[in-house]
Formats: sequence, structure tokens, C-alpha cells
Amino acid sequence: MSSQALAARPRDDGKERTALYIVLAAEAVFFGTLILSYLYLRVGQFDWPFNHPTLSQLIIPALNTAILLLSGVSAWGSERAILEAREGRLRLGLLVTLLLGLVFVAGQVFEFNRAGMRPSDQAFGGVFFALMGFHALHVLAGIVILAINLVRAFAGDFSPARHMAVSLGSWFWYFVVAVWLVLFAALFLI
Amino acid sequence: MTAQAQAQAHPYGTASEKAGILDWVMTVDHKKIGIMYMVTAFAFFLIGGTFALLMRLQLAQPNGRVLSNATYNEIFTMHGTTMIFLVVMPLAAGLGNYLVPLMIGARDMAFPKLNALGYWVFLFAGIFLYSSFAFGGAPDTGWFSYAPLTEKPFSVGHAMDFWALAILLLGLATTTGSLNFIVTILQLRAPGMTFGRLPVFVWTILVTSFLAVFALPSLTTAGGLLLLDRQVGTHFFNVAQGGSALLWQHLFWFFGHPEVYILILPAMGMISEIIPVFSRQPIFGYKAIVLSAIAIGILGFTVWAHHMFATGMPNATLAVFSADSFLIGVPTGIKIFSWLGTMWGGKLRFKTPMLFAVGFVALFLVGGLDGVHLAVIPVDWQVTDSYYVVAHIHYVLFGGAIFGLFGALYYWFPKITGRMMGEGLGKWNFWLMFIGMNLVFMPMHVLGLLGMPRRIYTYGDGLGWGIWNLIETIGAFVVALGILLFMVNFVVSLRKPATYEADPWDAFTLEWKASSPPAAYNFAEIPTVKSLRPLWDEKHPDLADWRVRE
Repeated sequence: MSSQALAARPRDDGKERTALYIVLAAEAVFFGTLILSYLYLRVGQFDWPFNHPTLSQLIIPALNTAILLLSGVSAWGSERAILEAREGRLRLGLLVTLLLGLVFVAGQVFEFNRAGMRPSDQAFGGVFFALMGFHALHVLAGIVILAINLVRAFAGDFSPARHMAVSLGSWFWYFVVAVWLVLFAALFLI
Repeated sequence: MTAQAQAQAHPYGTASEKAGILDWVMTVDHKKIGIMYMVTAFAFFLIGGTFALLMRLQLAQPNGRVLSNATYNEIFTMHGTTMIFLVVMPLAAGLGNYLVPLMIGARDMAFPKLNALGYWVFLFAGIFLYSSFAFGGAPDTGWFSYAPLTEKPFSVGHAMDFWALAILLLGLATTTGSLNFIVTILQLRAPGMTFGRLPVFVWTILVTSFLAVFALPSLTTAGGLLLLDRQVGTHFFNVAQGGSALLWQHLFWFFGHPEVYILILPAMGMISEIIPVFSRQPIFGYKAIVLSAIAIGILGFTVWAHHMFATGMPNATLAVFSADSFLIGVPTGIKIFSWLGTMWGGKLRFKTPMLFAVGFVALFLVGGLDGVHLAVIPVDWQVTDSYYVVAHIHYVLFGGAIFGLFGALYYWFPKITGRMMGEGLGKWNFWLMFIGMNLVFMPMHVLGLLGMPRRIYTYGDGLGWGIWNLIETIGAFVVALGILLFMVNFVVSLRKPATYEADPWDAFTLEWKASSPPAAYNFAEIPTVKSLRPLWDEKHPDLADWRVRE
């Protein structure tokens, strides 16, 4: 981010940014308590089914993770593009992020079904359903934000001085990506 | 004075008094939203209070027949849920909404539309919860809704689904409100209003808001998983399928204990505004009282398992949570000394707001000491789930939070309406509530030690419980009479001609600089602040705090 772009920011953008940080803090506690609930149940149970995941069990979740990481990069690119007044790249960045997000959600649904799990399969079925499901809902919420921003980008609503919605959308998206990295490690790697 | 002359007497006219219903529905003004919060919460207070009277009637004598066992379960569940989520939290939110922008010298909250959204979500969540009465019965598992009692096999029907959904909605309303408070206090303060000059009430609202943001998500998780268990067929709280009933208790109390401070901290802030004004002295130990509020907020997250001492946790865990619970008594004690120190050597004026504030200190002290007893693990084991615990929570939440809120209503009523509340009725109101509340809740200690469990709908003859229960029931009606006098006083005072006096208490903080009631924009000119008591400075330039102290 160039110093010129920083100087171009409207003075009161701190309000929105602070608000977003608070929302994300609350969301982090939400996912934190979900993960701790899962670990609490897992520690209390001797025969957790995924104690030693095989490579074939990991391949699609890993691919999904890569797709989501990639979308994080394009979200970052879209914020950078508008700060540099490159509206074409902004639209491209938003569109790519949105599409990768949709692919990720589809991949999650596919993986849950492929593994043959049901929410009612002991406690672990519910754990995977709830943790992946609540995260997917957040991805969908991020996609709604991206879609609104995309429409506004095509309407020429953004400029280096007027980019708050794009920035906040990107920040929410980074958060969703980061939460998934933790969930991926917690659900599939340990 | 004719109505017309009155309208002229008030510099900004009486627009707010002539406001039609649409002005209220469409408003994003923090003062109107604050009033709507308070009025709604007071309506729920009357409903929740009626439930309390019904319970006391049922328990007045052994083998009572006023309520059936099933109805009694619904009534005590709805009493607790209502008082906590629909009364004390929104009353504090309402006062906070009305006062925080005025106290920090701002024109409104940071996000006015979000503010309105929070109120409407709160209102509809409350109505939604109560609509369960019309759809097969209200929730009946107690306000903390322990699993597995709340699971589908044990709670058939939709009552628990109503409860869980209402809780999720109320969590949303509170989170948006808290976010708004935090951003407003961090970013909209008037020039010179540094953190060292922030009124204590604003500090407590700030700490409370952070508590809500970090504690409520745990309740959201609990409610969400409960709904999944009930509607989708997962097994989070079903031990037979690898779930855990204790998981519910951990999730609930990780929210539930900070919640106690969410309920009490704003009231502590309110009396920290009242006591200095009626003692004619600045607050004693401002830094100590602010830091102790922050310490209570942080420590509040480390004590949740003291609600679970009787669940068979390992000894090491018990010891840690017991020690933490003792520790939290320290910042609480500091506050008590701050209030006493403020009164010490002051010119005390025992107007109604001050009576309630001092009543708070006395009653909260009893509740706090009960809390210290309960942190002693063997004592807790002896009296857990007995009326001793009910006594503790009511000394804190009724003697504490409700007394603080009543004091605040008397204190800020002139600011909100331009009229004074009647002093005579006010004093009757206070003494009836004070005496009545001790009649209801003091004997509960005895009943707890005698072994009377909480939440039983009746009890047999010959246990020695009858006389204490009868005293409690009489006390409950004395309290009710006090609250009735409050309502009479409120209506009578509203019908009196307005004086529009901006500063009737000769107070210290910025909200009294604005007119009564304040104009829509609060201040024609944003004030500049030089000390903790900006209005004192303005009225006494030679004795200004910033000259004398800084």
C-alpha cells in the first residue's frame, strides 16, 4: 500500500474499521468455543474415528484449503487494486474471490457427503457438520458481501478515497480463510 | 403556566412530547431508542414480577395449590429468563443509550441505524419468546437450561426451540448494541474527554460492552448446538452417543458468569454518578474504581466453573476456580470502599436517588459476601441448588442491579422529561422495596441451610419451612407495593407542569449541561472538557478541578 493511498483515506474510516474488528473478535470467540467443544468431546472419547486420517481422506479437504487460500490472495489483490485506482483489476479480483468461494463451499458439501458422514453419526458426525457448516455459512455471508461490492464496482462506486466496503469485505474474507486454516488443522491433521 | 407558555419556556420546544407513533418507530435518535428500551424493559419487569408473585403465592404454605407443577416450572423459567435478558440488560442498555452520547459530549451514537436495529431485534425476540405460551407451552427447564433435560427426548414440543432461538436473537441484539457503545466511546468523545476524565458510568458501559462481545458467543455456540441436537439429530449433549451434558454447563457458564457482571457493572456505574453528586464531593479513588471495573471484567472470565462445583470435577480444577472466585472479591471490595470514601465527610443529601444508591451498597455487600461463602467448596457442596443460592443471586441482582437502576431512573428522570419525580412517594417507594426485599430474600439463607431445594413447586408439612416461606411471600407483596408506588409516582410526575430545569441536582457531568429534555442534537456547541467534572468547572471557575487538582 503506497503512502499516497494511505493519505487519501477519509478521516472517519476508523469507526467502520473498529466495528469490523469487534465483530471479528466476537466471531473468533464463537469459533474458539466451537473448537474447544470439539476437543472436549474428542478427549472424552477413546475411539475417535479420525485419529489417523489416511491420505485419501485428506486429499479433497487439502485441495479445498488451497482454493480458499488462493481466494485470500485475490481478495487482497482487489483491495490493492482500488487503492491504486485500477477499477478493472478490482472487478476481476472480486469476481475471482467470489467464484473461488463458491467452489470451496461446493467442495465442502461434496467432501462431507463423499465421506459418508451424517450429522447424527455419534458425536463426531455432529462435530464435522457443525464446524464445517458454521464456517461454510460464514463463507456464504462473505460471498454476499463480495457480490454487493461487485455490483457497486461495476457501477463505478469505488475510488481510492472511497474504498471502505472493499476493504472491510477483504478483511472479513481474510478472517474466514484464517478460521478455515485452524479448522482444517483441528479437524483433519491432529 | 399554560401549555403554550411551557412550550416557549423550553428553548427547543416540546417536539419530543408531541411525537407521533411513527416518529418513534422510524427514529434513529439515541435518546428515543433509549426511552423505548427502558419502557419495553419495564413492561417485561412487570410481567416477570407478576411471575415472582405467583411463585410466592404457591410457596406461601406447604402443599400449595395455586399453580400446577408444570405451570410452576414454566413460571420460574420465564421469570429468570425475563429478568436477566429482557429487563436488567435492556434497562441498562436503554440508560446507556440515552446517557453515553450526552456524557461524552457527542451528538449521537456511532451507528444510529444499527442502534435502532438492535432495539427492534430485542423487542421481537422478547415477543417471540413469549409467543411460546400460545404454541404448546413456555420453556420449563430453568434459565440455564441444562442438558440433557433440554434434549428432544426430555423436552418434547417446541418450548426449548423457542428458548434457543430467542437467546440467539437476543445475543445478536446485545452484540450490535455493545459494538455501538464501544465505537461511540472510543471515537466520538468531545475534545479533552480523555480516558482519565470519562465518567465512571461510561467506563462501566465500555467494560460491560467488551464483556458482552467476548461472552455472548459462547451462549450462541451453546444455543446453536442445542438447536442442532434437537432439529438435525446431532449428539453434542447426548452422553450415550459420545456427547457430553457437562459441555453445556461449560459453554453456558463461560457466558453466564461474565453475564453476572454485565448485569451489575452498569448499575455500579450509575451509583458512582449518583453518590458524588449527593455527597458534594468528587468520587473517591477514580482510578481505583475504574481499574477495579476492568479487573472484574477480566477475572469474570476465569471463574465460570464455580457454578459447577457439584459436578465432580477434579480437585485441582476445583481449587483453581475457588481461588479465582475469592480473588474477584478484591476489586469488588475496592469499589465498596470507593463509594464509602466518597460519602465520608461529604454534605450528604438523602434524596431518593441517593437512598437507592446507598441501598445498593448495603444490599450488594450482603450478596457479595454470600458469593464469597459459595466460593468455599465445602459450603457450596452443602448448599448447592438450595435457596441459599437463590438468596445470593437476588441480593446481587435485585438488591444490586434493580436498586441501582431505580436510583438511576429517579436521578435522570428530570433530564429525560424536564420534570422532577415526587420525593414523598419516592421515599415510600424506596423503604417499601428495601424492607420488602430483605423480608423476601434474607429468610432464603435460612431455608437454604435447612435444605430447601430451589425450583421445587411445593413442599410437605412439618419440615419447618412454612413460616419462612410465609414471611417471604409477605415480603414479596411489600416489594410489589413499592413498585406500584413507583408507577403512581411516575404517572403523577409526568402530568405535573414541566420546569425544564437543565441541572436540578447541581450535578457534575456533561449530560446536565444539555437542556432537559435535550435537543435532538444534544449540544448546540460541542463542549471542551478539562477535568472529570466539566460542569462543576463551568459553575465554579475559581474552584475548577483542573485548576485545583491537575
